[in-house]
Amino acid sequence: MKSETGFDPALYDRFPTKGERPEGELEELERIWCRPKGWGWVTAINNNFIGVYFVGAAMLFFCLAGILALLIRTQLAVPMNGFLPQETYNQIFTVHGTMMMFLFAVPAVEALGVVLLPQMLGARDLPFPRLGAYAFWAYLVGGLAFFSSLFFGLAPNGGWFMYPPLTSMTYSPGINADFWLLGIGFIEISAIAGAIEIIVGVLRNRAPGMTLDKLPVFAWAMLIFAVMIIIAFPSVILATTLMELERVFGWPFFDALKGGDPLLWQHLFWFFGHPEVYIIFLPAAGATSTIIAVVAGAKLVGHRMVVLAMLATGFISFGVWSHHMFTTGMPTISTSFFSAASMAVSIPAGVQVFAWIATLAAGRLKVSTPALFAVGGLTIFVMGGLTGVMVAMVPFDWQAHDSYFIVAHLHYVLIGGMVFPFFAALYYWMPMSSARPLSERWGRWVFWLMFWGMHITFLPMHLVGLMGMPRRVYTYLPDRGWDVINLVTTVGAFLFGLAVLLWIIDMARNFRPFGDREAGNVFGGPGLEWIPTGLYSVRSIPVVKSLYPLWDDPQLSKDVVAGRYFLPNSATGERETLVVSALNAEPQYLQRMPVPGVWHVLAAVLTAAAFLLLTVQAYWPALVGAVGAVLCMMRWCWDLDRPRVADMVDIGAGIMAPTYVSGPRSHGWWAMVITLVVAGMILLLNAFSYVFLWSRDPGAWGSPPPMMATALLVAGYVGAAGLGWLSCKALALDRARSPVIATGLMVLATGLLCVVTYSDIQAWLGAGLRPSTNAQGATVASLLVWQGSLTGITGLMGVYALLRLVFGHVEARRPSTFQLIALFLGYTAGQGVFGVLLTHLFPGS
Amino acid sequence: MTEAVPGTSGWPPPVLDPAGPFAGPLNTLAWVLFGMGFLVLVVVLIALGVALFGPRKWRQRLGGETLVWAGGLAFPIVVLSALLIYGLGLTTHLTPDPEPGEMRVRVTGEMWWWRVAYLDDQGREAWQDANEVHIPVGSTVVLELDSADVIHSVWVPRLSGKVDMIPGRRNYMRIQADEPGVYGGQCAEYCGGPHALMGFVVVAHEPEAYAAWAARQATPVQTAALPSPGAEVFDRAGCGACHAVRGTEFNGLAGPDLSRVGARRTIGAGILPNNEGTLGGWISDSQSIKPGNRMPAYPVLTGQELRDVSAWLKGLQ
Amino acid sequence: MRGALVALPLLACVAACADKSDPPRQIAGADAARGLEVMEQVGCAACHVIPGVDWPRGLAGPSLEGFGDAPMIAGRFPNQPDVLTQWLIDAPSMSPETGMTAMPITDAEARDIAAYLYQLRD
Repeated sequence: MKSETGFDPALYDRFPTKGERPEGELEELERIWCRPKGWGWVTAINNNFIGVYFVGAAMLFFCLAGILALLIRTQLAVPMNGFLPQETYNQIFTVHGTMMMFLFAVPAVEALGVVLLPQMLGARDLPFPRLGAYAFWAYLVGGLAFFSSLFFGLAPNGGWFMYPPLTSMTYSPGINADFWLLGIGFIEISAIAGAIEIIVGVLRNRAPGMTLDKLPVFAWAMLIFAVMIIIAFPSVILATTLMELERVFGWPFFDALKGGDPLLWQHLFWFFGHPEVYIIFLPAAGATSTIIAVVAGAKLVGHRMVVLAMLATGFISFGVWSHHMFTTGMPTISTSFFSAASMAVSIPAGVQVFAWIATLAAGRLKVSTPALFAVGGLTIFVMGGLTGVMVAMVPFDWQAHDSYFIVAHLHYVLIGGMVFPFFAALYYWMPMSSARPLSERWGRWVFWLMFWGMHITFLPMHLVGLMGMPRRVYTYLPDRGWDVINLVTTVGAFLFGLAVLLWIIDMARNFRPFGDREAGNVFGGPGLEWIPTGLYSVRSIPVVKSLYPLWDDPQLSKDVVAGRYFLPNSATGERETLVVSALNAEPQYLQRMPVPGVWHVLAAVLTAAAFLLLTVQAYWPALVGAVGAVLCMMRWCWDLDRPRVADMVDIGAGIMAPTYVSGPRSHGWWAMVITLVVAGMILLLNAFSYVFLWSRDPGAWGSPPPMMATALLVAGYVGAAGLGWLSCKALALDRARSPVIATGLMVLATGLLCVVTYSDIQAWLGAGLRPSTNAQGATVASLLVWQGSLTGITGLMGVYALLRLVFGHVEARRPSTFQLIALFLGYTAGQGVFGVLLTHLFPGS
Repeated sequence: MTEAVPGTSGWPPPVLDPAGPFAGPLNTLAWVLFGMGFLVLVVVLIALGVALFGPRKWRQRLGGETLVWAGGLAFPIVVLSALLIYGLGLTTHLTPDPEPGEMRVRVTGEMWWWRVAYLDDQGREAWQDANEVHIPVGSTVVLELDSADVIHSVWVPRLSGKVDMIPGRRNYMRIQADEPGVYGGQCAEYCGGPHALMGFVVVAHEPEAYAAWAARQATPVQTAALPSPGAEVFDRAGCGACHAVRGTEFNGLAGPDLSRVGARRTIGAGILPNNEGTLGGWISDSQSIKPGNRMPAYPVLTGQELRDVSAWLKGLQ
Repeated sequence: MRGALVALPLLACVAACADKSDPPRQIAGADAARGLEVMEQVGCAACHVIPGVDWPRGLAGPSLEGFGDAPMIAGRFPNQPDVLTQWLIDAPSMSPETGMTAMPITDAEARDIAAYLYQLRD
């Protein structure tokens, strides 16, 4: 095998090492990764804690949204029911959908990744535990506040996809819609933070030797999931921002009277919204692939095909968004394309389903609760997939669209594709974090009640949809023949509710996390996560030689626990983990990991507070909160680029590795690049909005600023980026005055960027641009707002660099901070150039 | 139970009970799709059944990558390609561009009712009506779909699939009924508030009957009928600020045109039978019938006034 | 899932139908069930709250709950079957100031409706 990094694979032969490990090593690990005390539970960042909190919060929101579902079904049990008033009902169905999608489904699978990935990959933790903890706290606080809006009658009532103009200021003057826009937009930021953590974690924190073809299928799923979040979620962030700008300042993005177009929202929303379905489905499918292999006692048949299928799903899912818009009067050529793509996306799903069936045939099913949930989920998902193929047929969709047929379809897909696999995963992996597994006897009841409850609820809905019942109706007239079906559906919903209730009781009886002991490998799984662990995760980090390490090497577990592999101790006396190369997982360096702290928690709470205060229009307190949040984040970043310790340390068996790496090899660089991809997606979608609205009414477009201004602005942006680059070069020279000169150049670069962005805005104002008059004004302004926001962040980075100099933290041996600032600055400048060229040259004067 | 609003019964399912050439192919397609779905489901369940409970020999045959290739790739590609070709053929057949000479009716979605304007040969508005579209049997009628406020969607399942009404855009929808009758419809896109109670009906007449109906609609209300106690109440209560009665001074535009309100099948946008009693109830307190609708309650009208105005409106036929 | 426990009895209430055990006042040959159907067809509930009709529950006229025990019709006529039947068909002829319109129903239908209304006891 060719080496990727110059690491000699022959070194792997040194493991497992012989002989006993020295006394006190294990105790040191235990001390370093000790359990938090008192308030420490809040400041914890270790995935053993945050991951469990995360899953718990997701299940809390699942139950809350489930209660809303029962209220909905109670209202619809009989025609013209007076159980819920119209307005309350409209709020409840909106919040039910929103919570299930944004507060349960996505966070739940993300949480599963946070709990499982470090152990599954053989890492001590994911690479950015504080970012993960921040994402969790922001999500919890934001989600609870969002849910609470129901109690004040302030919950959004526009449906979970919030179509304008119904959600515009004209038709939704209250702050209800703002709760959705700010609350959800904010929670998406948390999802993106989690995705960054997962991408870098899966690619860089694997056990040595775990090449991509030995990467567990669940980790593949999480990787694809996270990449899809990075590409899809910027769209909903942009959409919510545009809508909020329209609501507050009257910038017409969606207002047809002033040149906007309600369909722009639909494009942006579904460009996020449809991949979202697969974002939810893929990790659950990864879990199913894992669990089916275990319960069948056979290796997954067609592992490569399953991985390729998941990649294909991720890819195709970005080409199907308009199938939510077949009734909007799109041209036949577009509907045909999206129809074909929507059908194509079912093929990789078929590959996975048949791979599962083949695996079951290859082994022999041992019946258990996870097995039941996995197989039951498979059948439900197939049924949902088949109705999905039906509605992908444009003419049939004209009938089914927005009827209860669709309600049935989407619940079959999501419950079969995500909820059942998620319960399978909960039952299967519970013994990994809990001292006791869940009860098998109760598990049977939970499964069968949920399985039949599901069918009784949703199967009849197909029919009532064909009978003409539209979705999102708070009631229906008595003489339309829908009564019996709705009553049956309601009964089914309560059976489903009963199943969840039983599960909660069983959790209370048996779930004992955070202990010294785990129930262990109850189901006989093959993954590294079943190696007995402490809070430090695995005792030593094994060399992985197989896709099913515990099945293929029965000794592995014992050797790992005995410390006979990588990093059996703490090489630096701190929390640390191995960073490996992305493809072949060759050890590259030792990452020193952060310790628990309060700053990320404060930052999360203050960010959430700032958004909520903004929602209730308390602008000054919101500003205070935002400033506080920024200060907390700066304080948190302060510890990222710490003074260096020993340059090279022994990471096991005498293999030496550096403790500090900067540039493209470092995990920080990777995270920054991914962040910039997010920013770039927002830019591209912004540009799409600009061109889209231009195409609606080209005549209304005015002249751009003069060519002279274009040239000067481009030169200014390029100059700022150049100064940032020079700053890094100056630091690398490592002379006595390098820190001062480098900092000076960096401050100059950020200052110049601020000046140029300001001039950019002024040039447009000088050309007579007013954001609220037409779509050109609005979309150019939104590009400038985005440019201004990133420039503002760059400005803060300049201040931060100066502070680092004052406190003596700028040195040539630690260039990471400056490199990352320069990278961000370079991107912002490039984005500025793109924006100037697009808006000045297209469509021209 | 009998229907208060004719044509809206749920059985047989209207999607599967087409009444015209623009719904018929959709029904055929639906059955083809159900057949496909059922077939695939059976195949998957049989494969799953064999994998779980089958004899050892059978299971060994299934337990390899061949099954994944055959079942996961080849099988769906064949089935889906066939479906796609068939379905795309239908799409083009059902959505030709509007042609000159076709009868046009402009339907505008409003929160939470339908403004219906009949257009003449030049595309000008001939007269307005609300919540009912009358068509002659056997000819194609193009509905021009607009929205006055938020997005709505027209759905008359027995005559056609649904098409959205989007502010700033105009969509077209074709309907044709093969038999005279009343065909129920409803708004399908959530439009806030009482979206659930935004129904309407399409009434198909024999061509001669349609011509007679249209001729009557096109003539203004006889002003001779005007000096009546009901018209006075209508005037005094300010109803004319929102409602128009052609041929009179009442020319409000916000609410439905009432020139021939007495002839409509329903009131309240397809939800209540139309008679003097229900008209009176609606005028007195429509909010208790359709909460959230834009018409205020008029509790100040005395019993006599209420009856007078209801009788007058019912007489506008 | 505490909500499930709360909502279950509510559901039961909603689904339960009114059950009157007292024998109703008799009108020869009239069919109360048919009366309810006629009322739904003509939309009496647009103005009245009528037990047995879920919707609408109009407020323009008085509620008809317990009508079978009411001594008077519209506060001035004795509540007797033949008076009620006449009132249902053409109320304005009996009381010019009433808001109740003449209804498009036959004599037999009016008797059916009366039969139903007399079943409505407190």
